[in-house]
Amino acid sequence: MEQALKKILIVDDEESIRILYKQELEDEGYEVLLATNAYEALEIVDKESLDIMVLDIKMPGMDGIEVMQKIVGKKNNIPIIINSAYPHFKDSFMTWVAEEYVVKSSNLQELKDKIKELLNKPPE
Amino acid sequence: MAGGRGERLYPLTKENAKPAVTFGGIYKIIDFTLSNCLNSGIRRIYLLTQYSNATLDKHMHLAWDIFNRELDEFIDNIPPQKVNVDWWYRGTADSIFQNINILERERPQHVLILSGDHIYKMDYRKMLYFHQAKQCDLSVACVEINKEKAHNMGVFEVDDAFRIIGFQEKPARPRSVPWDRSKSLVSMGVYVFKTERLVREIIDDAKRESEHDFGRNIIPRMIKKRSVFVYNFKDETKGEVAYWRDVGSLDSYHEANMELLKENPVFDLYDTDWPIRTYQEQAPPAKVVLSGDGEGLSRGVTINSLISNGCLIIGGKINGSILSPFVQIHSHCRVENAILMKGVTVGQHARIRKAIIDEGVTIPPHYTIGYNLEEDRKKFTVTESGIVVVPQGFIVD
Repeated sequence: MEQALKKILIVDDEESIRILYKQELEDEGYEVLLATNAYEALEIVDKESLDIMVLDIKMPGMDGIEVMQKIVGKKNNIPIIINSAYPHFKDSFMTWVAEEYVVKSSNLQELKDKIKELLNKPPE
Repeated sequence: MAGGRGERLYPLTKENAKPAVTFGGIYKIIDFTLSNCLNSGIRRIYLLTQYSNATLDKHMHLAWDIFNRELDEFIDNIPPQKVNVDWWYRGTADSIFQNINILERERPQHVLILSGDHIYKMDYRKMLYFHQAKQCDLSVACVEINKEKAHNMGVFEVDDAFRIIGFQEKPARPRSVPWDRSKSLVSMGVYVFKTERLVREIIDDAKRESEHDFGRNIIPRMIKKRSVFVYNFKDETKGEVAYWRDVGSLDSYHEANMELLKENPVFDLYDTDWPIRTYQEQAPPAKVVLSGDGEGLSRGVTINSLISNGCLIIGGKINGSILSPFVQIHSHCRVENAILMKGVTVGQHARIRKAIIDEGVTIPPHYTIGYNLEEDRKKFTVTESGIVVVPQGFIVD
């Protein structure tokens, strides 16, 4: 029987990033959903059963930190990877909700590795 | 932490949050923890409140509006904000999780977490020194109690260095401490965390199916993988187990109040080295008088009792009881082992024993409470040990 593809949500306000990530991650064999802002992301979280969320922090309106605060406790089993251009949010307590923090780079290898790692992580 | 419902103290918590329930005649339960803070030099306090907190708010305003914000001292009341979540505080750990932004802003090295509903005197500085010396992730203040009383509490197992190596929740067979087989260590609900460790633990907990409770969830998980130590709370000068009471049930509340009445109580309200602060409204001195004459003479007599300002004892005998302000006792009454809250009136020839009469209740002449528990049960709450509780607003007829 064919196994369902693992579903990844990319939340990022930059179109070029969304297009690039979708292409690259689909090539890796994942199903990729896209959200252009925090509100869209929260709607998708409510509707879909996701395996991982890749979340930008700085976005117009609600930011990624608020998104995390809203979904923790609600859909508390979605692993989150923060994907920000800025490393300094690592010090912010609320970013500790995320399983991983990957600083944006043109090379997506680190992000792909972290996704694979989290998907293969045995449940506690 | 002042957000518990205080269900086991019902009906005293019908109108009041548990920390706002009166204790010792003139105090509110929260005054003891806050006085400890004040006496320990801790003046930056967040009070996490939730249920029926109108009376607690009022008391905080009247009694505790004493810190100077210009010196960065404060007590800030933080009910659930529901900014990022749709629920109230789901447990003690969730109440901190929902206010993680405050920790972010303050960035303290350590966080002292206290329950606002226990009666004890403790210098928290000593526990902080202990915590820093051990360089541990978490210190849990504990008291040693007799093993047979520990079955309905959280019991810690420690090694000789006070490191926690096991935890039992309400155990049938509580573990004893290594140095005394008859004693067990139970948590006082007083914790010191390294801030970063606290944040990581409450985030981890928020993501789990959990009751989001420090005692039941966070601490049992932490002792398996982190350095967690017991701070053994003892009387510094006497070296004895220090006084600590959880007044969580009506029976323990009544008992702890009665303990204040001994000639030399372990918990001394008159200790000028550790003053307990509260708010007292303007009231004339308590007055005890003879009433009537000849055969109708009734002497006002009070023994082993606390009588607050504004009380009028117009004849009648008060023994082993606590009277809050503005209580009136009329001639030929007998009041024994009772707690009468503010504004209670006891009519002539009434008899009350082993009872708690809540604010403003009038007991009519010749009425008896506590002498026939079967009858009392038809109208009032009667506890396991036979304490009769008359709730606020009850019309006794």
